[in-house]
Amino acid sequence: MQYFLAHSIALVATLTFAPLEMPQAAQTQSTFNAHDLSGAWQFAPGGGGQGPGDNFPSLTPWGRAKYDANKPGYGPKAAPGGNDPILKCDPMGIPRILFVIWPFEIIHIPGRILMFFEGQHTIREIWMDGRKLPDDPDPRWYGYSVGKWDGDTLVVETIGFNEKTWLGAQGQPHSDQMRTIERYRRVDHDTIEFNLTIDDPKTYTKTWYAEPRTIKLKPGVEIPESFCVASEEEEFAKRIREPAARQIGKE
Amino acid sequence: MNYEDTKTQRQSGSAVRIRFKSGPLCLCIFLSLWFLTASASAHHGNSAYDEQARVPVKGTVTEFVWTNPHAQIYMDVKDKNGKVVNWGIETNSPGILTRAGWTRRSLKAGDEVTIILCPAKNGAPVAYIGSGDPGTKVIFSDGRELDFKDRTAQ
Repeated sequence: MQYFLAHSIALVATLTFAPLEMPQAAQTQSTFNAHDLSGAWQFAPGGGGQGPGDNFPSLTPWGRAKYDANKPGYGPKAAPGGNDPILKCDPMGIPRILFVIWPFEIIHIPGRILMFFEGQHTIREIWMDGRKLPDDPDPRWYGYSVGKWDGDTLVVETIGFNEKTWLGAQGQPHSDQMRTIERYRRVDHDTIEFNLTIDDPKTYTKTWYAEPRTIKLKPGVEIPESFCVASEEEEFAKRIREPAARQIGKE
Repeated sequence: MNYEDTKTQRQSGSAVRIRFKSGPLCLCIFLSLWFLTASASAHHGNSAYDEQARVPVKGTVTEFVWTNPHAQIYMDVKDKNGKVVNWGIETNSPGILTRAGWTRRSLKAGDEVTIILCPAKNGAPVAYIGSGDPGTKVIFSDGRELDFKDRTAQ
């Protein structure tokens, strides 16, 4: 009887106090400022083979020729060796660097948001001071980006790319006419919903709406020094990558 | 247990062809490998390696290179004729390894290890281990292991 009584009291106590505690815990977890994305983040695992997606719009003849010339190590065209520009430590560019398996830190400073990527130890700047995109930007690996808040969504528009980067590890190409729009919406303390559209009429016959992705907070992560150093990469290629890719029977 | 044959086959579920010198222990290992092989999903995506295979290779570490974006392990391995071959094993970036609990001192020359790896398809003594290929890992002679689980993941 004593046993039954003790358990009944414990059960009542649990039912009485638990509802008081749960909203407090939930509130702590949900406290965030949707316009403050400060912190280290990383794309949650998803499809797309470290790129905007497996499926993309039809290529123009110009785009097809460029795609055919790209020899990736990933995806349907994958083959050992190849000519992925990152094998020589070329900058990954936008949007590819977003999709790699390394974190990045978002830093708010007056007039700008900075993205500090572990991949290649790269800083990308997004102008938030209301300026317009330049009329005739120099071609860049990371383009020229301006951002604004649309409600709780950070909208980042970028133009001014060179044609040297791939959109993802599967080797999808782009031209200097590419315009990307990234949308970041923080939906809870730990999560950003990410959407990307790619407009590049020289390469694709239609706008590419990339697969929506989720970005997760990585509390406590420090971005280490992580340069891609061409001389080190060359040494690695000699010792491991090239022997691994060598065709059987050829020395 | 010596690694005797680097040949692999990419046939439904049966990816590894290796021979072991001792009996029941190796049968267990083989069955474990078969399970790992059947359940492994290849995410790393480097088509030079057989990412369906998980092959144990035993050797002595000669060098641990802690560079970005590919740390590298080199080790001496005896082949079936007793000849020592130096293997090169590609792995993740120091950033990923750090988040998995590794440091630049995790391996040193002279360490006796068995590495569960994805061998090169062409049979060269090079291989991959890393976060993209679950089941790959380093096992020390005292049983300690180094794997690729992200200890900072939520």
